[in-house]
Amino acid sequence: MYKLTGVTKLHQKGRRTVTAVTDLNLVVEDGEWLAVQGRTGHGKSTLLNLLGGLDRATQGTVELDGTGLGALRETQLTRLRAEKIGFIFQTFNLIPTLSAAENIEAALIPLGLSHTARQRKIAAALDAVGLTDRAAHLPSELSGGQQQRTAIARALVKEPKVVLADEPTGNLDTDTREDIIALLEHLWRERGLTLVLVTHDSSIARRAQRTAVMTNGHLTIRQDSPDR
Amino acid sequence: MIRLGPGAHPSMEESSMFFLTYLRRELRRRRRQTVVIALGLALGVGLVVTVAAAAAGVNNAQAGVLGALYGVGTNVTVTGSPVMTGRFGQVKMGGTGDLMLNAHGAESCQNGKCREVLAGQSVQILGPPFSAFTSADVAAVARLHGVSAAAGGLLLSDSALTIPQKTGQAGGSVPMTAPSPTYFSVQGVDTGHLALSPLSAGTIISGRSLTAADSGADVAVVDSGYATSNNVKAGSVITIGTVKFTVIGIVRQPQTGGSPDDIYIPLGRAQGLVDASGFAETGQVDMIYVTAASAADIPAVQHEIARLLPADTVTTAAGLASEVTGSVTSAARLANDLGTWLAIVVLIAAFAVASLLTMAAVARRAAEFGMLKAVGWRTRRIVTQVLGESVTMGAAGAAAGVGLGFAGAAVIAAVAPKVSATIPGSSGSAAQATVPGGPTGELDPATAPHVLAIPVHPSVTVGVIVLAVILAIAGGLLAGSFGSWRIARLRPAEALSQVA
Repeated sequence: MYKLTGVTKLHQKGRRTVTAVTDLNLVVEDGEWLAVQGRTGHGKSTLLNLLGGLDRATQGTVELDGTGLGALRETQLTRLRAEKIGFIFQTFNLIPTLSAAENIEAALIPLGLSHTARQRKIAAALDAVGLTDRAAHLPSELSGGQQQRTAIARALVKEPKVVLADEPTGNLDTDTREDIIALLEHLWRERGLTLVLVTHDSSIARRAQRTAVMTNGHLTIRQDSPDR
Repeated sequence: MIRLGPGAHPSMEESSMFFLTYLRRELRRRRRQTVVIALGLALGVGLVVTVAAAAAGVNNAQAGVLGALYGVGTNVTVTGSPVMTGRFGQVKMGGTGDLMLNAHGAESCQNGKCREVLAGQSVQILGPPFSAFTSADVAAVARLHGVSAAAGGLLLSDSALTIPQKTGQAGGSVPMTAPSPTYFSVQGVDTGHLALSPLSAGTIISGRSLTAADSGADVAVVDSGYATSNNVKAGSVITIGTVKFTVIGIVRQPQTGGSPDDIYIPLGRAQGLVDASGFAETGQVDMIYVTAASAADIPAVQHEIARLLPADTVTTAAGLASEVTGSVTSAARLANDLGTWLAIVVLIAAFAVASLLTMAAVARRAAEFGMLKAVGWRTRRIVTQVLGESVTMGAAGAAAGVGLGFAGAAVIAAVAPKVSATIPGSSGSAAQATVPGGPTGELDPATAPHVLAIPVHPSVTVGVIVLAVILAIAGGLLAGSFGSWRIARLRPAEALSQVA
């Protein structure tokens, strides 16, 4: 699925240059669940952005199924994200003026499906996350867990190959956190997704097939994980 | 290798529902900002509509003044010099007529025949206030390049003077006052070219107007103001000079409080009235009304007529407009210049506020737009969404602005006082009379300046409404384009990190 070779990402902050990721090498197989741990500011989210085509590497290559993302034009990257990549964010990032169903529909708009087809997929996505009865509710009318379920449904409704989750349980209480991770795990197994999940929670990371640790921009595969 | 889809081509209908839902909900969420932007645009647009309506009203008032003087079809008017000149102790009235005041009363001379008029007696003088043109002059003007039609007119003053009781000695110390005439004006109208006469500007409110068939008849159309003052109606019989005329119609001229001609009779009959009063030749006129082939020909026509008749006054509507003074010209300048600039300044301010607020809203929604880019929305689609919101606010501003404009025009119509227009007399001078030791006085109002009080009726035209809508929507588009520029520069990773 993914092959990262010698990837470095530098950010310009005024006159200073900040190194977010340094000489990173990584392979993620199809259908694999990779958890990426690390402290805040050590490059986890940057890695996710590079994998999702939201950002471009300063050096090195990021390949998805053999295609270098750095060689794609912006419109091609946008199309890639529309069809193949689902995102789940820590703060849910739901549009506050749209209902749960409409937030999910937003992910289907770029695909050019008919209204009927969209409604069918939305219903299936809501059912998969157990929110069928909350379809018409605005985010402000949903609990944190329900909002994150909506976000998961939005990520999965397009049947992506890859789901990139950035601290999906970061804003949730312990019980809800467990529910969400269980749901993600279930969907990963059921659909054969490739799941890259960023977390600082070790208990969540241990549930993944493989765990990597980001420290000051360097990625290290944990010793008790299979070495790829 | 990744294989991407062929590209989404949803039907307009399929995605428009989502577009409209998102747009509507977003404007409702930012209700306060939406109202501020729409109100700002409404204020600017409303001012544009009000100023345009006021300017149209004042310009219409000016045009009405000129139209009443000129007639509907006339572009150029030619008049001779006034023949009522003041000399020490002498009044010249009508052609070669003369009225010389003396110690006993006055001596009245017509066509070389003189008679004494004792103090206390009345003298009636009927004559043209301007020097004459021949029929050949009229024909020569009609043949000029750029002239579509030319017709003669004959303006007569019918004045009755009562010689004062004590006239004193010439040069004596007893002050004397000039005799004050009673007066009415008679316009001889070429019934073959009715559109070129001042009669054409009026509306017949009783009876009928003159026609070509009336060319030799003793019939008259009377101005409504004169008819009211003298208790004249259709069917009445009036006397001009020594001839009785039957009134066939009453006409109301456009301006109110002004001095239109009192009586309109066929040109041939007017010429017959003054044949005995001193015109050297039968069939002469003292005004020529000219229609140019097009507006572009008017300056050239004016120039050619001035070369043909160098001693006479050639006036165009534009030239007369520049001589019209009074508060109507001040109001026109106020509405057209100051009003226009004020509207432009307010519009620019409204556009600036709308743009700033839209850019601020886009900045606040950076994470939302970053998320949309993350799920695959192209920049163009997000820009369309933001532009849609801005244009909707612009349309709301347009609707409110047009309403404000109508309200503003109604307020102006309700509270604005009448404006005044001072129209100079022929050659810009008044006919005057002087007597020894006495003040000068105007004898012939036909050549005196006219002061008119004109109501201003602001009018909102379809063109102004369309302009207002375009301006408001343009304001919305401008605001949206600033926001769109910001969106286009938005990097998703950066935008998403703003929330994190």
